Amino acid sequence: MMEKELEALAARALERIEAAGSPEELEAVRIEVLGRKGALARFSKQLGTLAPEERARVGRILNSAKEQLERSFEARKEAFHRRALEQRLEAEWFDLTLPAPGPRPGSLHPVTQVQREIEEVFLSMGFTVLSGPEVETEYNNFDALNIPPDHPARDVQDTFWVEGGHLLRTHTSPVQVRGMERLGPPLRMIAPGRVFRNEEVDASHEHTFYQLEGMMVDREVSVAHLVYFMKQMLSAVFRREVSVRLRPGYFPFVEPGFELDIRCLICGGSGCAVCKYNGWLEQLGCGLVHPNVLRMSGIDPEEWMGFAFGLGLTRLVMMRYAIDDVRLFQSGDLRFLMQF
Amino acid sequence: MKFSYNWICELVEGVQVSPKELGHLITMKTAECEAVEPFGEHLAKVCAARVVEAEPIPGTRNKKVLVNTGRYGLKTVVCGAPNCRPGMTSAYVPAGVALPGGEIRCLEISGVVSDGMLASGAELGVNRDAEGILELLAEPGEPIPGCRPDWVLEIDNKSITHRPDLWGHLGLAREVAAILRLPLRDPVRLDWLPEAAADLEIEILNDELCPRYSALTFEMVSVQSSPLWLAYRLETIGLNPINNIVDVTNYIMAELAQPMHAFDRDTLRGNTIFVRTAAPGEFLVALNGETYKLDPATVVIADARGPVAIGGVIGGLDTGIVAGTRRIVLESANFHASSIRKTSGRLKLRTDASMRFEKGQDPANTVRGLARAIELFQEISPGIRLSGGLADAKRELPPPPRIALELDWMERKLGREVAREQVVEILRALAFGVEEESPRRLLVSVPSWRATRDVSIKDDLVEEVGRMVGYDSITPQAPLIPSAPPPANELRTFHHAVREMLAAQGFTEVYNYSFVSEETARRFGFDPAEHVAVLNPIASDQGLLRKSLVPGIWKNLLDNSRHFDSFRLFEIGYEIHKRPGELPDEIDHLAAAVYEREGDGRPGLFELKRLAECLMPGCEVRPASARPFEHPARSWELRWRECALGRLFELHPTLAAGRAAVLDVDLRKMRELGPPPKRYQPLRRFPSSAFDLSVVAGLRDLAGDIEKRLVELAGENLESIRFLRQYSGPPLPEGKQSLTWRLSVFAADHTLTAEEVGAIRARLIDGLRAAGYDLRL
Ligand SMILES: [Zn+2]
Repeated sequence: MMEKELEALAARALERIEAAGSPEELEAVRIEVLGRKGALARFSKQLGTLAPEERARVGRILNSAKEQLERSFEARKEAFHRRALEQRLEAEWFDLTLPAPGPRPGSLHPVTQVQREIEEVFLSMGFTVLSGPEVETEYNNFDALNIPPDHPARDVQDTFWVEGGHLLRTHTSPVQVRGMERLGPPLRMIAPGRVFRNEEVDASHEHTFYQLEGMMVDREVSVAHLVYFMKQMLSAVFRREVSVRLRPGYFPFVEPGFELDIRCLICGGSGCAVCKYNGWLEQLGCGLVHPNVLRMSGIDPEEWMGFAFGLGLTRLVMMRYAIDDVRLFQSGDLRFLMQF
Repeated sequence: MKFSYNWICELVEGVQVSPKELGHLITMKTAECEAVEPFGEHLAKVCAARVVEAEPIPGTRNKKVLVNTGRYGLKTVVCGAPNCRPGMTSAYVPAGVALPGGEIRCLEISGVVSDGMLASGAELGVNRDAEGILELLAEPGEPIPGCRPDWVLEIDNKSITHRPDLWGHLGLAREVAAILRLPLRDPVRLDWLPEAAADLEIEILNDELCPRYSALTFEMVSVQSSPLWLAYRLETIGLNPINNIVDVTNYIMAELAQPMHAFDRDTLRGNTIFVRTAAPGEFLVALNGETYKLDPATVVIADARGPVAIGGVIGGLDTGIVAGTRRIVLESANFHASSIRKTSGRLKLRTDASMRFEKGQDPANTVRGLARAIELFQEISPGIRLSGGLADAKRELPPPPRIALELDWMERKLGREVAREQVVEILRALAFGVEEESPRRLLVSVPSWRATRDVSIKDDLVEEVGRMVGYDSITPQAPLIPSAPPPANELRTFHHAVREMLAAQGFTEVYNYSFVSEETARRFGFDPAEHVAVLNPIASDQGLLRKSLVPGIWKNLLDNSRHFDSFRLFEIGYEIHKRPGELPDEIDHLAAAVYEREGDGRPGLFELKRLAECLMPGCEVRPASARPFEHPARSWELRWRECALGRLFELHPTLAAGRAAVLDVDLRKMRELGPPPKRYQPLRRFPSSAFDLSVVAGLRDLAGDIEKRLVELAGENLESIRFLRQYSGPPLPEGKQSLTWRLSVFAADHTLTAEEVGAIRARLIDGLRAAGYDLRL
């Protein structure tokens, strides 16, 4: 009799659990059936009225019904949870193609970027990076580089003179002098920096531009070593193997001195407007350090040899990005600078 | 500097390479050849032609002319030249040929079709004579005598500043001969020089500035136009033919690099030429018509009366060659290079002569030039003759010392081996004297024209050998050197790190000039006298060196605000501060700016404050008195680790429309302070308790001060303090604000009891009250 009632109750309760439309409705069913004062609880109180064997049997049925109801209740509850979560997550969709708040990324000056690349190449080959001041002594800028006062090379480098007998460095070469005097031989260094020439500004001339100077002084330093380092650097800068050629060039602080050209990267050497149809592009001046320069910095040229080079950083950057107006570098124009 | 290919071929026997190939070889082994261009290409088609008939065309000055052109048969042309007459031989230009002035076409002139034309020297570009058509001694159909098509090799002047010899064709020809291993033909025959005694005295009063002065006197001179070959050659290399005498001096200059000057002997007073420095107050009216004031550093050539030329630069007008000149003094001298360079700079006068002398010409060359002149004058001034012998005053110069060249050392420098025979051959081809002292050691003597300043040490010889064997024959090679990390450059690493951070936070890097104008300096309230002044600025905005990055940033703000409503930028650069008696102090600074056209300006300042905190954790701002370019109520000093490091301010509204927040930090100080030392603190083991405190303060009381006070009062119990909000308005009285913080307190060894937390809170409240603040509890 009780057994029948119990089965009917369980069956009804199961139906109601399945039919519950909300977690609240489900909870109401749970309290009504499984709660402390629920239907099952009432049954278990009635168990005491049964004969012992009968009590044990019905008790087992009661427990199994309870377990079954609890399981389906939990399953149903879990389903509600899952659905609620799914609904919430679905509702949280939004349009990420809208712009992110906060400032747009900034950028580094193109000269900074190329300069850093070259610095990294040389650092990896054991060169140190040195800096020097923009205002230099006449001695460091000229005399110590084998350019005495009456030397014609002084004409070529139109100089800004400042009060106190000093000048705005016309090249980064004075940092060679500072490097030799500070570090002594053996020495491997580069020196990027801002240099000045007193000339009118137009699309291809600037009174302020950037160079990168380099020097190695050691017991054995040859033209072959110089070419090796120049090739390493230029291949890294242009991110491909470059062909270089040396031809005579005159710079008072080196002997012999060279102009170093690379095979035109645009036409591969067959001739184009960029290389003025000769297949080669002038890249830098270099040479073996003049013994006078070593001597003036207290290094014995009979014991030490060296090479030095000077690269037009501004020109290199213009070439890399096909920039046609040198004035843009100092313009502070974000329309230009934000492209890099 | 322009070189004639034909001329070089005359000086080097058996040249087989094309002009372009020659240009390339010169570039690779001697000096940069910038261009190789044809010259006088049209002359291949122009020919001599005899005038058969010439009948005037009525009503015009033209004649209808029948010419026998040989090559092109009989042609009818129209000619307006006054010298056109039957029987003469002139130059015929067929239709379709491009002359320097344009292409010649079949044209109807005065009713007659002119099939080609008869041309003047100017029209052909072989001299400057436009008075009439050329008169030639040639048979019809023959090329114009002495005027073959040529090529011009243009050598970059900068690449031959150290090579005085390359300022003449013979010098370059010697290089070509060495490159091609062909014999060189020296056009100078010293046996032309006369043996007789000179009839002119030369007195050099300063033989430092003028090591040698040589001269010849000629008489029976006839001044006239130069022959075509001479005029054409000068035209080819860009020189202006003037008359036969002057043209010969220019020709020799272009050939031997020896500048020369001809005086009209009859205008010179006295029988002595003085070479001296100018006396105060002296001046010279020069050949170019200008009057030059001379100073005592200037070398002058003077006669008994006064200066007749500025030595090595330009001759005087009064003593120059004119049409009626009958006797000349031909000067061939040598001057001190840097003295000429200075004089020409001082006078702002660079001439073909001064350009050569300032490279350091060879004193031995003066008489070579004269010998060459005698020979050429015979041809171009018939009847001319020498009057007396060679006048030659000079300082005796010791021969340059020989240079010992160790072949092993040379090979170490070049990074390749060169056979001894090849070294010897190269040096000899370049006119060096070579003695083989031992198998691996040469004694080398330097030719006089290379010894003035170009070649003096063994390193110079490495270049001679290296360029001739070809640098492209050297295989690149990595050196064998100990591997070691290079010395660190902290400045560079630091700057790059700051840059990276700024860019990552949305700032774009600018570079500004190191210059500032006086006007801008004043506008910013800086005293121009405190700046380092540029002594020779080209433009007024280059007058001073910047001692602040802010004016540059200001200009960037103005320029960019025309294109953007909002932007961020920064610069890392050097402030240049005057230091008497030594180089200026260059201090690296960071200047960063946030610009917003709209808004109240606070977000920009807070953004820069946050940026400063990223660079200098724990830095604080303190109110500062505003400088003239700063917003008077928004000017703050930046402090870090007890040091003032820079400023954070809004640009004064009169300087920029919109809001411009600017951060200016001394990077050198920042770097010197370095990052604060880091020390591990054990993690808290017992729970902490939090409570809020609302402090009532005056509207301009600084939250930073109150927070600092709270931190002090909480002492070692403080775990964290966080600002929550600021409020002003009812129920607070006018002029008051409430500032709320959440504090979290703890004890290292136990969990704080409610009583303990209460005690701490009470301590804070009492402390604040004691400092004059109220609390909202
Ligand atoms: Zn190309």
